Amino acid sequence: MVDTTMEKNPRIGVFICHCGTNIAGSVDVKGLVEYAKTLPNVAFATDYQYVCSTPGQKIITDAISEHKLTGTVVAACSPRLHEPTFRTATKEGGLNPFRFEMANIREQNSWVHMHDREAATEKAKDAVRMAVAKASLLQDLEVKTVPVEKAALIVGAGVAGMQAALDLGNAGIKTYLVEKNPTIGGRMSQLDKTFPTLDCSQCILTPKMVDVYRNPNIELMTYSEVEAVEGYIGNFDVTIRKKARGVISMEEAEAKGIKGGGCNGCGDCEPVCPVIKPNPFEMGMKPRKAIYIYHPQVVPLLYTVDFDSCIKCGLCVEACGEKKAIDLEMMDEFVKLKIGTVIIATGYELFPVEKKTEWGYKQFDNVVTSLEFERLICASGPTGGNVIRPSDGQKPKKIGFVLCAGSRDNTGVGKPYCSRFCCMYSLKHAHQIIEKIPGATPYLFYMDIRSFGKMYEEFYYRIQDEGAKFIRGRVSNILEDPATKNLHVYTEDTLLGRPVDVELDMVVLAAAVQPMEGADTVRKLFGVSCSQDGWMLEAHPKLNPCGTTTAGVYLAGVCQGPKDIPDAVAQAEGAASVASIPLHRGFVELEPYFAQCIEEKCAGCGMCVNLCPYQALSLVEKEGRRLMQVTEAKCKGCGTCGGFCPGGAIWMQHFATPQIVAQIDAFLLGGEQ
Amino acid sequence: MAKAKGYSDPKMEEKLRDRYYYRTDSNPEFSKRIRDISQTVSHMCYQCGTCTGSCPSAPRSSYRIRLFMRRNVMGLEDEALTDPDLWLCTTCYSCTDRCPRDIAPTDVIMAMRNLAAERDIIPVNFLKTVQAIYTTGHGVPNNDVNRAARQRLGLEREPPTVHKYKQYLPGIQKILDHYGLKARADKIVAEAEKHA
Repeated sequence: MVDTTMEKNPRIGVFICHCGTNIAGSVDVKGLVEYAKTLPNVAFATDYQYVCSTPGQKIITDAISEHKLTGTVVAACSPRLHEPTFRTATKEGGLNPFRFEMANIREQNSWVHMHDREAATEKAKDAVRMAVAKASLLQDLEVKTVPVEKAALIVGAGVAGMQAALDLGNAGIKTYLVEKNPTIGGRMSQLDKTFPTLDCSQCILTPKMVDVYRNPNIELMTYSEVEAVEGYIGNFDVTIRKKARGVISMEEAEAKGIKGGGCNGCGDCEPVCPVIKPNPFEMGMKPRKAIYIYHPQVVPLLYTVDFDSCIKCGLCVEACGEKKAIDLEMMDEFVKLKIGTVIIATGYELFPVEKKTEWGYKQFDNVVTSLEFERLICASGPTGGNVIRPSDGQKPKKIGFVLCAGSRDNTGVGKPYCSRFCCMYSLKHAHQIIEKIPGATPYLFYMDIRSFGKMYEEFYYRIQDEGAKFIRGRVSNILEDPATKNLHVYTEDTLLGRPVDVELDMVVLAAAVQPMEGADTVRKLFGVSCSQDGWMLEAHPKLNPCGTTTAGVYLAGVCQGPKDIPDAVAQAEGAASVASIPLHRGFVELEPYFAQCIEEKCAGCGMCVNLCPYQALSLVEKEGRRLMQVTEAKCKGCGTCGGFCPGGAIWMQHFATPQIVAQIDAFLLGGEQ
Repeated sequence: MAKAKGYSDPKMEEKLRDRYYYRTDSNPEFSKRIRDISQTVSHMCYQCGTCTGSCPSAPRSSYRIRLFMRRNVMGLEDEALTDPDLWLCTTCYSCTDRCPRDIAPTDVIMAMRNLAAERDIIPVNFLKTVQAIYTTGHGVPNNDVNRAARQRLGLEREPPTVHKYKQYLPGIQKILDHYGLKARADKIVAEAEKHA
């Protein structure tokens, strides 16, 4: 039963904060105190330099008992900063913490009206008057705790997702690692070497992949995608689509009673398959069959049938024989998971750099992207690590690297941000060609070299010392000599003040990065916002870089913004740490801003049930009539139902109609009730 | 390679000449020789501009030492050696003191002057100094005003240098002759005076 009664003789204490000069510099604080004392229900008003400080909080605590207050108002900064502080102080004074109301006279007042003291003071009076009106009607509310399912879900098994999974798994948490591709490893497994240490990327990544596979707490779900999400922190109900891969593992075979069967990765199926398609792992530069693995080190070592190109000839089934691993009639399966917290690590892809037509990608054979170059220089790549010109298979001697290819671009075609790791991998590429091709010269066309990380500037020094040519100028356009397929690269050497036309054998575009295709779908499923630039939005750019505005959902790696490997791994470890807190604690607290049904007014029409964006409402039979019922844990207190209810039968706790009306009246009537 | 436009008027040809930088404009040997002569890591310049910012000559002239460092890295021999600004360095070494990459830009300039001299590109005023040293042992020889001033101060009219000990002058001349500097100076100065 909902309690709609309110304080009959409210006694409110008002505490005005100077915030140093932040507020006092543009608001007449003393005048505001005198004004507050004239307001109805105000029993006490004072000001203090920093109300959030320990002595400041004590003023609130003491005033509550001394003046027998029923509610408190602090006029200070944004509630996002100090609402919890003042609620605690109110509670320590012996009141229910929800008897506190905050008036923001800093972010929404003194900071924006810095040069108009008079108007700022008037506006502060309005804010205080409204807060007092609401505080007079506030009710006692109890924080609700709900139990947490001790399981985590990680979306994306690149290096960030894998690291987060390992951390959570090793902390004893059941972790589901969902990956849309047939193998884990992500972008990092496509790279040849890593800067600035020149470690072989696969050599340092594959042990992690094996660890993920072997960890008893990690359940790998490759070739799978998140289909649907319901619920809230601690209690997400997630549906995973396990895409039909046409092949069963040895464990699955055993469960089906096929003794010694299932895919063991022998590869007998592959040569007999008649369908040839480009391998996306090799950036389309190497063929694969309709039944395939990306590369020899895949985890899990399990073939996958591409049903979009499979002609179901059955030759592979024959080759597989007694193992009976291949099922060409396999269908997608749906798995329901109970999840406590979620980490999104969906990563990135390259910006389609052909959109910047002036650089000739996809027009000229010898213009390639940096990821294609990674595969070309990788010993396990399509050319066995021999860098060749696509046009004629010759070894290029003069190779251009175009930095900021689509980054730092405000035309709307490219990306306005810095992609952050292109400078460094281009330096690495320059080193690799000097090392691999005798007499080769790399030309780096750059605007700035951003070598910001540990040992990065030293790496830059080393590459310059090795003989790489640096031309400070953004490449304006590239033209091809149709006879030789050589490329003319145009820019300005801004340091000489001279236009440049250099003829090169090959050009590598350090293309901008953008969120992975499909990341937006995942983002929306979990109710995560995105920032202006399209990357997922963290809860706070400095102080909460792993959290999101959805409780229980965290971010790791490039999905939040461009990052190199060390930064992606560091954020993954941070995300794993924060995601594990509710899981270890075992419960979460929900702010009690729930909708409540005033049963005697409810007509049971059910309009609200369909309006609720969180599926928190339902209709139930009670004493012979239909009534709305709220699942409090699901309700976010958005007020959609309360605003709509034709009978006024929905009571929004802490934002109840009388409380809001009182605020509006206080504003419009200048304090007269 | 820069393309000739083919104007009949040479002034027009110069005015509208192709100013693109082409890879073939670079002479890697030039950069290598600069490095050998200057004995500094001249190829490591990252063009921060600390040198020009420190340079006492820069605010009073068109001399930009950063630009010479860039020409060195790019191997632009002709552009560097024919630019008369090359001779505006006072060799104060402020740039060398402050270069964050620990290069000695002053020594790069000195190396370029050496290579310019090989090609007889030396300003006449410098060569007149050579001639003065050859004939008097001094770049700025003593004169009557100085002599009078010295006398007033109770000093000898001639300082205790080659001015006083003229027997040492042949030794100086021998050094200058050994490097062919006097002959080169005479030749270039005569050329210049003929054209003037």
